[in-house]
Amino acid sequence: MTERQISPGWIAAPVAAEFPELRVASLEARCVDPQSDPGVAERLGLLASRFNGRQAIEMRQAAVTAAYRAFYRQIGINPEEQRTPAERAALDRLLSGGNQPQGRVADALLLALLETGVPVYCFDPALVDGPVGIDLTKSGTLVLADDVQELGELFSEADNRFHASPKQRDLLLVAVGAPGVPRITIDESLWLAESALTGN
Amino acid sequence: MASLLIENELGVVPADETSARRTLLLQIAGLERTLARECCEAFPDELELTALPHGAARIQNLEQLEVLRDALVGAVAEARQALVERERRRESARDRLSALIDDPRANRRERITQAELGIGGCGVWSAVPRLGPMGRLMGWWRVKLSSGCPLAT
Repeated sequence: MTERQISPGWIAAPVAAEFPELRVASLEARCVDPQSDPGVAERLGLLASRFNGRQAIEMRQAAVTAAYRAFYRQIGINPEEQRTPAERAALDRLLSGGNQPQGRVADALLLALLETGVPVYCFDPALVDGPVGIDLTKSGTLVLADDVQELGELFSEADNRFHASPKQRDLLLVAVGAPGVPRITIDESLWLAESALTGN
Repeated sequence: MASLLIENELGVVPADETSARRTLLLQIAGLERTLARECCEAFPDELELTALPHGAARIQNLEQLEVLRDALVGAVAEARQALVERERRRESARDRLSALIDDPRANRRERITQAELGIGGCGVWSAVPRLGPMGRLMGWWRVKLSSGCPLAT
């Protein structure tokens, strides 16, 4: 097995000055098969079966989710209006009655999110030019970006032009760690997603 | 760069914006955690709070941070007030239940739900006559807890 190399991302200077602990990291991965992996589906099922409404509310006090909620507030997002990724996954789980397998890529991202609380995004490496980081646009919006272009608004799912398609083999996994989230947790989210994709 | 005036024990002194921003960001994070704790405390009830600012992810200016901090202070106060009022209603329900148990006949029109008491489930405490109409005529009353949620229709 080859060593998995996580690349630290860059943070634009004005953003780093405001949030010195904000982190972004990426990892290249290869999806062996677009179909859901039975092992990952089983793990998602187990995570769903141990979950109830009280936990969905109380997870806002969990260290990692609390860090994202605090960061959301600090950057002007109301986490009651736009839920943090982990809370949105919890709500989806309650509404759908379980974590339904949706293909290997979606399952891997969901597993990493549920296990660590850190959102992992999956980009098409052919569309990304250089390392991924967090930038500030002229209008003051925080975005994920590469060396030449904006890849989408931070924490927004609205713009998925650069996201990998579900059947794509080569992928670029990107994790965004809010201030206060330990580096090891961010790395773990990437490793988890990558191992779910490769089946190792 | 804009400067602030902060009053401390030495009087009004200028302070640099960076430290003011840092302080506000820390306050906002702390208030968010407090608000989250109050929301968990309120479960299974949902707190109805005044809507807080919401927008795209951005670096907020000093004024926006202050507005948000003040709004969060207001929301925490609202949440605490709601919890105090809920506890007052529960206390009142417990008193009514106590009175019902002490004297079912005098309080036979009383109905106290588990929700009013802050207990899970759909049961209702009420006074019912022993032996049906006979008990009603003779004044034999007892306290009963209904078996729970009605069947879905």
